[in-house]
Amino acid sequence: MDFESLSGDLHRLMDLALAEIAKADDPAALEQLQIQYLGKKGGLTAVLRGIGGLPPEDRPRVGAVANEIGEAVKIALAERGAQLRSAAQAQRLVAEKVDVTLPGRTVRRGTLHPIPETIAAIAEIFGQFGFVVYEGPEVEDDLTNFQMLNIAPDHPARDLWDTLYVDIPGRLLRTHTSPGQIRVMQSTRPPIRALLPGRCFRYEAVDASHGFEFFQVEGLMVDEGTSMADLKGLLDEFAHALFGPRKTRFRPGYYPFTEPSVAFDVECVVCGGVGCPACSKTGWMTILGAGMVHPVVLQYGGIDPERYQGFAFGMGVERIANLRHAVPDLRYYLENDLRFLEQFR
Amino acid sequence: MRVPLGWLREYVDVQLSPEQLAERLTLLGMEVKGLEHWGADWRSVVVGELLTVEKHPHADRLHLTTVNVGSGEPLHIVCGANNIAPGQRVPVALPGAVLPGERRIERTEKMGIASEGMLCSGDELHITSDAEGILILPPATPLGRDLSELYGDVVLDVDVKPNRGDALCLIGLAREVAAATGAKVRWPEITVQEAGGPVSDRLSVEVREPQLCTRFVGRWVSGVKIGPSPDWVQMRLQAAGMRPVSNVVDASNYVMLELGKPTHTFNGAAVKEGTIIVRLALPGERLETLDHVQRELTADTLVIADPSGPIGIAGVMGGADSEITDATTEIAIESAVFDPVSIRRTGHRYALRSEASLRFEKGQEFRLARIGADRVAQLTLAWAGGSVAKGRVDTAPEEPASAKLAFRPARVGKLLGAPISTDEQRSLLRRVDVDTEPAPAGTRIQVAVEPQPLVVDPGSEETLVAVVPTWRRDLVVEADVAEEVARVRGYETTPAHLPDTLMPAYRPSPLRVRQLIRDTLVGAGLTEVVTHALVSPLHEARLRWPADDDGVAFPEPAVGDPIAVTNPLSTQHSVLRRQLVGSLLDVLALNERQGRADVAIFEIGNGYGRADAAPREWTRLSFLLTGSAEPASWNRIASPYDLDDAKGLLELLCRSLALPAPGYAPDTRGFPFHPGRAFSVREQSPDEILAGRVAELHPDVVQEWDLRSQRVIVAELAILGLGRGRLPRIHVAPIPRFPGAERDLAVIVAESRTAAEVQTTIADHGGVLLRRIRLFDLYRGNPLASTEKSLAYRLEFGAQDRTLTEAEVDGALEAIRKGLAADLGAHIRS
Repeated sequence: MDFESLSGDLHRLMDLALAEIAKADDPAALEQLQIQYLGKKGGLTAVLRGIGGLPPEDRPRVGAVANEIGEAVKIALAERGAQLRSAAQAQRLVAEKVDVTLPGRTVRRGTLHPIPETIAAIAEIFGQFGFVVYEGPEVEDDLTNFQMLNIAPDHPARDLWDTLYVDIPGRLLRTHTSPGQIRVMQSTRPPIRALLPGRCFRYEAVDASHGFEFFQVEGLMVDEGTSMADLKGLLDEFAHALFGPRKTRFRPGYYPFTEPSVAFDVECVVCGGVGCPACSKTGWMTILGAGMVHPVVLQYGGIDPERYQGFAFGMGVERIANLRHAVPDLRYYLENDLRFLEQFR
Repeated sequence: MRVPLGWLREYVDVQLSPEQLAERLTLLGMEVKGLEHWGADWRSVVVGELLTVEKHPHADRLHLTTVNVGSGEPLHIVCGANNIAPGQRVPVALPGAVLPGERRIERTEKMGIASEGMLCSGDELHITSDAEGILILPPATPLGRDLSELYGDVVLDVDVKPNRGDALCLIGLAREVAAATGAKVRWPEITVQEAGGPVSDRLSVEVREPQLCTRFVGRWVSGVKIGPSPDWVQMRLQAAGMRPVSNVVDASNYVMLELGKPTHTFNGAAVKEGTIIVRLALPGERLETLDHVQRELTADTLVIADPSGPIGIAGVMGGADSEITDATTEIAIESAVFDPVSIRRTGHRYALRSEASLRFEKGQEFRLARIGADRVAQLTLAWAGGSVAKGRVDTAPEEPASAKLAFRPARVGKLLGAPISTDEQRSLLRRVDVDTEPAPAGTRIQVAVEPQPLVVDPGSEETLVAVVPTWRRDLVVEADVAEEVARVRGYETTPAHLPDTLMPAYRPSPLRVRQLIRDTLVGAGLTEVVTHALVSPLHEARLRWPADDDGVAFPEPAVGDPIAVTNPLSTQHSVLRRQLVGSLLDVLALNERQGRADVAIFEIGNGYGRADAAPREWTRLSFLLTGSAEPASWNRIASPYDLDDAKGLLELLCRSLALPAPGYAPDTRGFPFHPGRAFSVREQSPDEILAGRVAELHPDVVQEWDLRSQRVIVAELAILGLGRGRLPRIHVAPIPRFPGAERDLAVIVAESRTAAEVQTTIADHGGVLLRRIRLFDLYRGNPLASTEKSLAYRLEFGAQDRTLTEAEVDGALEAIRKGLAADLGAHIRS
């Protein structure tokens, strides 16, 4: 054996290996080739066994050639491997193609009811002005629902609140959230900024714009010097927050428990003030009633009307919700047809 | 109140357009709800002149007429009325005309003769009540003109508030117009020609209840001839919404609309001995009222009587026996002031509320009793003839002077948030006939009246006295003056600014916890509903839901019998619910009718009950699940809701509310629950912040509620903070620095043992090193006995200060094993 012939063997081996690697078409074949050429019992090892018959000075040279050839085969294996993997991956990617236009897997989500949602929206707006939420009983007494609000038992204004009575003497289903004014004043001291949402009841036949159960939000603010100008400023903010930049209008109203009393109108949200059936051609929509708390009411609340003054307001939640969502019929709210509720998504 | 503008102009000049007037009145507090164009529904009705009137050749009761309508050829019109004659001017509906009630007039043929239109009666045009004859117009009525141009009017629908009874009439609204525009009010000239003998010869009045009838003014008219009132009167009454009846009755109604003074006219011949007695009804007395209903009078009813018995319910309705008829010639006029409360109660008692009683209820100006009696007498004489007896019977002729009301101009400005000079306030008040004068020394301010009176000394503050006109019974305290100043000045002049006063103390919102729960459940796929609190009594009977939190230490326990409404609108809504579940079943039923099978809903609302005659209210969360838990999807198999979904929601709620996981205990009481699928739930903290009942409904209940769904899961939960209050805070534990060790444990126990028992036992014996317990498998079958089951748990052990040794973990596991064996007779499958 001499260096030349051994080197020739090695190069022939390499040529053979490279040719076979190039032909290999799957990772298993490549692995087989690796063992065949580079393994412990592989071709390269077999050739190198003849190294012992060489003169010592030639041995390092053969070693160098063998290393070179080993490296070349390794690189060829790696390159071919990479080629095969990327081809396989490309194939898989093609095979894995889906119709991305198919609809997704539905994630169930319910919807919030517009009444509590509207109450939350109102509370959020007034909350920014420091109004805190209270709640009062729905089964009220005549005293708090009427008499302490300056509505004597035979007051003609009682016609404004047709009442449902219950089988507990002196009790009734509250006809408005206004008795909450009394309860708040009796339980806390000025400065008062209170919001009272809740369910109310009236003896009223049901139609598209009336119901015997409905929701109101009452507001109350009492302090030294709280004036009608404060009320007007606040209600303007409220109307703008709910309905955007629209004209508003303050005009005289009537409630026994406020003096002066106010009706608060906003420019019709349907026609923008031109006049349409929704606003009875007036261009205005009344969204709430308000006024300066009557001195009698302050006194029932334990507050000195000479020192303090304040305002109260009350609004129908359904009315606000109707305007926000264009709901055509009040009965939708308590009927709970899912075809209505599921639109609030 | 309906206000014909043409009529209103009689008392005040109106330069504004109807729309402008409506706006001004509205801004003054007399809200105009609508503008009606009276006569707008007479389309193509013109004034014609009858040229000829002849008998119809084929029908005795018909006439052939020719009518000149001002232009073109005369029209040939067949007419059935008998009051027509050549030369008369009459309303003619031309072919194509549309009359009130969408009645269309076309060219027709009547008994063989063509008719080119129709002559109209007052009734057909809805301007008088005469349906017999054709409406004969005054001779000077311009020929050919549209009737709506001549007789049309604008009618304002004014919403007069209950405190302003004085404005429930044309004079009252004329005053408001005057206040708005500065015009002057013109009263009608009220003079009575008295040609008869003294009234005392005909009528005497005795008021036995001077508290309830503070004044009674009577007049007498003899020799009247009952008939229709003049057409213009009928037209006005019609436009104002009152049906004309006869000249005398119309006179009374006219005065009520004109002056706001309800009066009553009796057939004088039916008033026995010409004696009227105002008294309370006697036990057993009866009266047939004008509406021909026999009424048993209760003893607290104020009646107008003659010596033989009641002839009218005071202020509410007259009696049929003393009604004005065609034959009546003697008229007794009653113009009285009654106690508003008494009238109101009487009206309610007999369910009789008339235009008259509505005005009496709001209180009457004292002097109007006199003026009203005179005016009715004057108009009766003018419209029905006869002679008026001299003088009036008057039980309280002395009329009180104007009331005085002291006020502090500075206070008015402070209330309005806008300083208004004293001079300006005085001139504003002048516009509503309120004079002002300097306050004499010692004047006190009426801040509030009964039942919480407050009178204060103004000290050195500038004070004025308002002289309140006698008709303004609503001005009684200082704040009332402020409102007058504000409304006459115009609310639109009030400045607007945000409050700059002190803020109130913080208060947690009772809405916050609810908001959290609502958002959580909606995110979990449930839809929120809001249902009636008033339900049918059948709900309770059909549901028999047990009290849901007996023994739970809630601030709002659900206790007590149901509360019923004593005057319900219908039995469907006659009791206050104690549970919400029944309402949710109703919602399910409704949506099933719309073809919905998958329903997942919840409500946060109140239950109500009575305990010791006091009402109680409690707030609950209720949910209902039926149908598919996952929405049907092309890429997923639907799975039906079951009890585990309900528990999943409870556990989700507890996580949302930062509460420990809930514990479950079986409820085997059966109906209304599936006996094997019902449990009570308690969140496992000592404060018991969440408690309630969850169940699949018994099939019988499902059937009784007529539901299509086979399995319906319902829950009713009490949650602290749902009504009011706050939830506990989250306290964070340090993140473990040392890894934990996991062990799986398969516990074989008797079937009768619950998972809750096993888990509690593991927790009890796990010691401080046990961090977490999670059930991952439930197995029954080989090689276990049929009375056994295997519950496989993954347990996590760990410590804050070190990595546990094998020996430590094994020790803890051994303690659990022993505990399970001792407490439950369980063994561990290895």
